[in-house]
Amino acid sequence: MLDLFTIFSKGGIVLWCFQSTSEIFTPSVNALIKSVILQERGGNNAFDHEALTLKYKLDNEFELVFVVAYQKILQLSYVDKFLNDIQMEFRDKYKDDLTQGNLSRNFNFTEDFKTLLKIAEDNVRKEAQKPKVMKSFEESQKSKKTVASMIENKKETPKSVKEQKKKAAEAMKVAKAAEQTTVSNGTLDEETIRKNIEKKFGLNKKPKAEKAKTESPDANKKKGKQARKWDKGGTAKEMRELDFSAANGDGDKGKDRDLDETLPTEEDLAMLGSMSGNLGDLEEESSEEEEESEEEEEDTPVQQKSAGKSKGFGMFNVFKGLVGSKTLTRDDIQDVLNKMRDHLISKNVAADIAAKLCDSVATKLEGKVLGTFNTVASTVRNTLQEACVQLLSPKRRIDILRDAMEAKQQNRPYTIVFCGVNGVGKSTNLAKVSFWLVENGFRVLIAACDTFRAGAVEQLRTHTRKLNALHPPTKHNGMQMVQLYEQGYGKDAAGIAMQAVNYARDYKLDVTLIDTAGRMQDNEPLMRALAKLIKVNQPDLVLFVGEALVGNEAVDQLTKFNQALADHSQMENPRLIDGIVLTKFDTIDDKVGAAVSMTYITGQPIVFVGTGQTYTDLKNLNAKAVVSALLK
Amino acid sequence: MSRQGNVEFWYKTLEQGFANGDPSFYAILVALLVGIITLFVVFIRLGKKNNRRGILMMGACDGGKTLMFSRLTANKYVETYTSIKENTGNYELTGDKTGTLRMIDLPGHERLRSQYFDQYKASARGIMFVVDSASLQKDIKDVAECLYTILTDGFVSSAAVPILIACNKQDLTLAKGAKVVQKQLEKEMNTLRVTRSAALEGTSDTGNNNTFLGRRDRDFQFADLKPFTVDFVECSARGSNGTDGDGELNQVIDWLQKIA
Repeated sequence: MLDLFTIFSKGGIVLWCFQSTSEIFTPSVNALIKSVILQERGGNNAFDHEALTLKYKLDNEFELVFVVAYQKILQLSYVDKFLNDIQMEFRDKYKDDLTQGNLSRNFNFTEDFKTLLKIAEDNVRKEAQKPKVMKSFEESQKSKKTVASMIENKKETPKSVKEQKKKAAEAMKVAKAAEQTTVSNGTLDEETIRKNIEKKFGLNKKPKAEKAKTESPDANKKKGKQARKWDKGGTAKEMRELDFSAANGDGDKGKDRDLDETLPTEEDLAMLGSMSGNLGDLEEESSEEEEESEEEEEDTPVQQKSAGKSKGFGMFNVFKGLVGSKTLTRDDIQDVLNKMRDHLISKNVAADIAAKLCDSVATKLEGKVLGTFNTVASTVRNTLQEACVQLLSPKRRIDILRDAMEAKQQNRPYTIVFCGVNGVGKSTNLAKVSFWLVENGFRVLIAACDTFRAGAVEQLRTHTRKLNALHPPTKHNGMQMVQLYEQGYGKDAAGIAMQAVNYARDYKLDVTLIDTAGRMQDNEPLMRALAKLIKVNQPDLVLFVGEALVGNEAVDQLTKFNQALADHSQMENPRLIDGIVLTKFDTIDDKVGAAVSMTYITGQPIVFVGTGQTYTDLKNLNAKAVVSALLK
Repeated sequence: MSRQGNVEFWYKTLEQGFANGDPSFYAILVALLVGIITLFVVFIRLGKKNNRRGILMMGACDGGKTLMFSRLTANKYVETYTSIKENTGNYELTGDKTGTLRMIDLPGHERLRSQYFDQYKASARGIMFVVDSASLQKDIKDVAECLYTILTDGFVSSAAVPILIACNKQDLTLAKGAKVVQKQLEKEMNTLRVTRSAALEGTSDTGNNNTFLGRRDRDFQFADLKPFTVDFVECSARGSNGTDGDGELNQVIDWLQKIA
């Protein structure tokens, strides 16, 4: 039932291949590599190409890729497990060759593959022959939901616990100070003070209780339906037990417990300093990015974990660490990744993009052998840096001047449409682009297709006048370099654009820049109008203008614009956004996350960057500079 | 003190030192010796000019780099997909020159190209630019752009790294010959050097590389790239029927011998 199973090195050399049909699969596999693996979409391992579904698995230790392909209409449930099995088998069989990097030998894997495939298929057949049983809880959608929500909680709670811990320490200080002052003043009695302290600590206990709650469903997950009652927390009875807040902690027992449990936090904090001396590895890298106090607390789990491990193996482990045969597992990198994700978000990368990027980095790193003197943090950081540079480097050539030149040879105007939400700087950057084009000897026609906002046409007319003053016809053989095509307000934008393109063709103008009205991504009639404009005119380039200030909103804007263009065009291959203009780049300092978010969503390059108000403030994006600002 | 007296004085001190068997005297002697040896080693290292052994195999996607790499390093025919990572291997020189060259096959995908090029360019003894001669018409802009970035690179131009343009896939019937490829590339580079030197600056202060290739007063020619030597050869990594030991890479091998 499998059409193709292939094992190849990351360098692209096929080691072994199984094919059940004589079809040529190379384009499909190449498409998988180009549009999934190289786009940092590593989180999801399935990919549809024409009539095939392709699934892949990366082996980061030996730098291998395992790809399986089958007809899209087939529902093969065993594929994921089968991929794993094959990976294990292949690794076991050729371990020596793979470790030495000897890829040129012959891999006679067909026999093993056939046996494994037979086992897998037999299992499926047996399953199919069995009378159909009801879906168990684990298989149902609902269980997945709970797990998903649980994972989210898990990520959040430890952090909140830490925060609360920190607060606790602060609260302690404050309380102590308060105690001193009040004692000297003698206005408050000791009982009230203690109660105050307890109240504060009581607050801090809550997250611990929450953690206990979230962890328990994890343990109960396999028991099936019972787990469901944990969905939204425990019963009322348990709540009373778990609630250590001031109201319940009135009794002596509660008080004792509170004090007992809060004291270790101080010890923990004291311990932190002593331990960081020996195991400073992870800290070195991270110390650059976080404030010291935060870092101390955030690094604790990692340090403690490594300390626990080294105890188990004693001296041997020290040498092992030196030689560097440590294989990274998901758990090892999770802490660092979480931190990286938070860092990315703080740099204005949209939250879910940051999560996806980190997922992709995790898939890339899982199973990788750590180098001799590399720490986990630095490895993760380097991989993330590589991933971001890779993401920001354009996946195709962008050379507008070259393309415009070619269009000129074909006697047609090169057409660019600018679209985007309101107030991001479409007209301003359009003027800058036309200045750049004029400087390079192209004659430009600006089409005023914003027939809605008052003053939009006048704004463009002013720009035209100014550009013509800068480049007077006398300098260019008596030809007017910039012209404006306008039909006033209230007309159909698509019609005006078409007339403008025809006008440009008739008068031998080289480039047509179409300015559209700003529209919010949710405004359906306007999005429909934009889709129509693009469908009717088939421009050479559709540029989305977005400001660098946006955070999570960038995702919404771009996906909805792309979606609208796809939905409303009623074409087989609709024109989508081809490139991005990132404006107001001068206002954001090092919070360059929007660049990453936007390129991740569309997969399209950032063509221009607007860095100011004058005509010369138009730049190219320097991927490396942006990434170093991002990870600073 | 006369010169002879000076020598005599040192000789005497030496003799006295040996006679006394003073440990600090021996220590000083050993230290001097070690210092001299170190200096020697450093000079030898520096004196050996151009010890870069890497041959970078570059070019756009689907040009046949990985297959050619496999042919040169292992003399083996392999199926290939788009590379995600670089391949490295050794090529044993034959004939009058002996030794090995380190072949580095870089991924051709646009997203990876520049990263890997930056990583490996410092070790480049030569650059082999592999072109798909059959689909050149279609991909000419991308191919030329890739070549342009290599030629304008600071390191490559300062070290005058020799470049070979290998017109691969000559086994296909529609493949263009080396002369045609050269002509087309020259024409495309001619426009490209105009558009690229007018490209916008980068966002950071480094700016973009606006080197003007060739001579300004006439059309671009590879012969005008003075410090560089750019050679064109025809080859076919696949060969006539795609088996081990097949493939026509004689001219490529000649070039490797030449620059080694």
